[in-house]
Amino acid sequence: MKKLLLALSLLFLSSLTYAQDLVKKIPANAFTVATIKGDNVFKLMFVKDFNESFVGKKLLTETSKSLDKNFTSVEDFGINLEKNMYYFNQLSDSITYNCFLIPLKDASRFENLITDKEKKIKVDGEIRTMILPDSTSVIKWNNNMMYFVTGSINSSFFADSVKSARYGIKDIRYQDEISMADSTMAATDSTYVTTEAPMVEEVIAPPVLKEKVQKKTAKKSTAKNKSVKRKKGVKSKKAPKKVKHNEYDSAEYAVTDSVGMASLPATDDQYDQYQQERAEQEAKKKQLALEWITVQANQIFNGNYESIESNKSYAASLDKNAIAEVWVSSLQDVYNSLSPAFGSYGKAGVMKGYGSLTAKLFMDKKSFRISTGLELAKEQADSYKKIMNRKLNKKFLKYVDSEKAIGFMGYAIDTKAYLEELPKLMQQTYGSFLGTNKMDEEIALGSELFSLLLDEEAVSKVVKGDALFIINGLNSRDVSYTTYDYDEDYNQTEVTKTKKETLPDFLFMFSSEDQRLMNKLIKYGINKNKVSVSNNIYKIEEKKSPIDIYFMIKDGIVFFGNSLTEMQSINDNSFRASISNTHKALLTKNNFSFLFNAKNLVGKVPNEEIGVEETAKKFNETLGKMGNVYMKSNPIKGNLVSADISAEIPNGHENALRYLFTLIENAAK
Amino acid sequence: MFMFGDQIIVIFKFQVIQIITSMNLRQFYKLLLFVLLIPALSSCFEIVEEINMRNNGTGDVTLTINLSQSKTKVASVMLLDSIQGYKVPSKQKIQSELAEAVAYLKKSEGISNVKSSSNFTNYIATISFTFKDVSNINNITKNILAKQKIKATNTSSYSFNKATKVFSRKYQPVANAKSEFNKLKNQDKAVFNGAMYTSIYRFESPVTNVTNPASNLSKSKKAVMLKSSIINLINGKVNVSNQIQLLK
Repeated sequence: MKKLLLALSLLFLSSLTYAQDLVKKIPANAFTVATIKGDNVFKLMFVKDFNESFVGKKLLTETSKSLDKNFTSVEDFGINLEKNMYYFNQLSDSITYNCFLIPLKDASRFENLITDKEKKIKVDGEIRTMILPDSTSVIKWNNNMMYFVTGSINSSFFADSVKSARYGIKDIRYQDEISMADSTMAATDSTYVTTEAPMVEEVIAPPVLKEKVQKKTAKKSTAKNKSVKRKKGVKSKKAPKKVKHNEYDSAEYAVTDSVGMASLPATDDQYDQYQQERAEQEAKKKQLALEWITVQANQIFNGNYESIESNKSYAASLDKNAIAEVWVSSLQDVYNSLSPAFGSYGKAGVMKGYGSLTAKLFMDKKSFRISTGLELAKEQADSYKKIMNRKLNKKFLKYVDSEKAIGFMGYAIDTKAYLEELPKLMQQTYGSFLGTNKMDEEIALGSELFSLLLDEEAVSKVVKGDALFIINGLNSRDVSYTTYDYDEDYNQTEVTKTKKETLPDFLFMFSSEDQRLMNKLIKYGINKNKVSVSNNIYKIEEKKSPIDIYFMIKDGIVFFGNSLTEMQSINDNSFRASISNTHKALLTKNNFSFLFNAKNLVGKVPNEEIGVEETAKKFNETLGKMGNVYMKSNPIKGNLVSADISAEIPNGHENALRYLFTLIENAAK
Repeated sequence: MFMFGDQIIVIFKFQVIQIITSMNLRQFYKLLLFVLLIPALSSCFEIVEEINMRNNGTGDVTLTINLSQSKTKVASVMLLDSIQGYKVPSKQKIQSELAEAVAYLKKSEGISNVKSSSNFTNYIATISFTFKDVSNINNITKNILAKQKIKATNTSSYSFNKATKVFSRKYQPVANAKSEFNKLKNQDKAVFNGAMYTSIYRFESPVTNVTNPASNLSKSKKAVMLKSSIINLINGKVNVSNQIQLLK
């Protein structure tokens, strides 16, 4: 028995070291890393249950059908479902790699997915390689991992003739073509020389077409390319031969053209020539991309390099409970590295001050949660810290009735800090944006002027910066309408009837220390008959408005609302409401919070107002199934700002993942 | 590609507060209305068509569209630029279109005494006119259809035979109305829930027979009324065709 235990534990240990996490294979300079955590996913849903689920069945039957095999479990694909799967990409000035790292449990099962494997797979010891038919991607695997990489050449890189010349690639443009065409087809062309130019200009117009044609030719040539490679390995010496072949093609075209339609297709001819040239260059680029991809893939398998684990920002972003994670390295860096693609605006650095971005997905027994975070430059973070240095007025909480509340949204910022920091933030973001036009100084001047004109202190006394919008429930009220009565002789008389109408009661409040301005505004409104007053409660006299809006000022709070009874009860301190601890925490601990509680809406709207009974039933059913939806911003930690969105799942579901699967199944029905 | 997404996230997170604070009161009000419009836009409205026929073949028509039962919703919708993908016409636009209709009717053959009214408190609009012959109405519908470039055979017509004293209303549901209606999104269909259509034809002589079983005869036998939900008209469940025989 002891021996058995020992053996088992040894096996366990060895398997631990053996199947190390593939994160070690991700290079330190990866730009984006996305992770799906197999163990966390399959903790929520057993593989067996996944296979039997709607999504699982669909996946299995579809793959079975397309590969003409019979798969009964996702495990048949040979993937190690208990390990993490990764996606990452690497950016450079010349090529972008999109890469997937998938842990394997049974490589032979994985190979079973490949048809004609004998022909396609190249075996080199333990490592097997396959180039995909379109030769833009490479798959490489051994017994415990599979690596898929696809690359795309950055066209801007080869637009630089010096760089492209290094790789023997010409940047072909249609305009250059005239002279080239002239030299190759001198005999026929010379006759058209005079009329040529304007016609050429007409043809330039449809670039979309160019692309299409070009793609076709490119495919053709790569097909040939591939066959060459299979025989001769990766480095293809036959490329020039292929080019020649294409030239021959074009010559053939030229001949038939000049014979068949002697005068008409002069430009067509040239266009074909141009297409041909382009296709050749594109094929060269593609060939180059494949070479690069192959080198990169080899490196991932055999190379020794620093892994992303050493990146502090990445390491800090990890959460062992997450189902899936996405991490994007510094937005600022990337914006700059990609800048040529954005033209002259690229260098602007709109992303200045923004660091890495993370998003994490959590699922548990009660809810889904997406947590996002963004690193800021210290300067920026300090600005936001100052702005966020405000808590919601505690007095607001008296007016939240958790039992009835359908939803609320609260936010708290420091108006004074906001106004002071705003010019700085604007300058940071847009100052450099306009920098190419030497607008920095003007922006700085504008910022100064802004501060000069505004008395931040005074403004912040009128509007402190915290506010709460709440819908405490629905209320029905009588609404009159005009309709017609008919006597026994069907003579019409216009009559006024009343009906019940259900409307949400909303309440909006914000803190204000200095009410002199408000009072002056009210006085002005009253004089202009825009506002009426009774018992400290003001009513906005706006005929166009479908609802009555009241407002009042009490205890340093300005209230707006559409229910007179609510307003009156606030006024005489008889407002009764009790807030739950969760809601209290949500509102007071965060600068921004939002809640929607659909359940409190169920059955509150009379059926006849929703429409037919059927619609009403559906409406209430949908609402009844929805759990609470929350959103909140978290306090700034260090230089990290973050926010969470979470949705509770309805009762009767084991966990969020299983609930998601039933949702998908229902949607597909 | 993903750069774009990132930018949106960044902008979302940091501009939310800026948006809220910079949002002017009117925008806030619009947002509020959206919240208030939570229930589907089921609205009650009624269309009333009245024709007073005289024995000599002349008569008066009054068309009324009354949205008063839904005035809260209509008023809310009127404050928005568009709803569910449809542009909301302004008060001015509605008034000018009504004026255009009046001008058009005035020029039409056999039509006189054209009047219109619009009430933007209760959302009721009427248009009325006098005709020389009830068939004048047929031309109007025909021309309107042509003007709107609607390729529909004129499926609705009125006639009055002075000799036989038969008033006839022919109506054939537009063949594709039902299928077109079914193509609408549910929330758009809901607009027609509870909408009613009423037609009243009044005569100088008593009515001896009506062919439409859904229509009712008044006590004096001089008026015929038909009420139906608009949904049933679209579905073709109710037909407004009728042949009304007057006492000779």
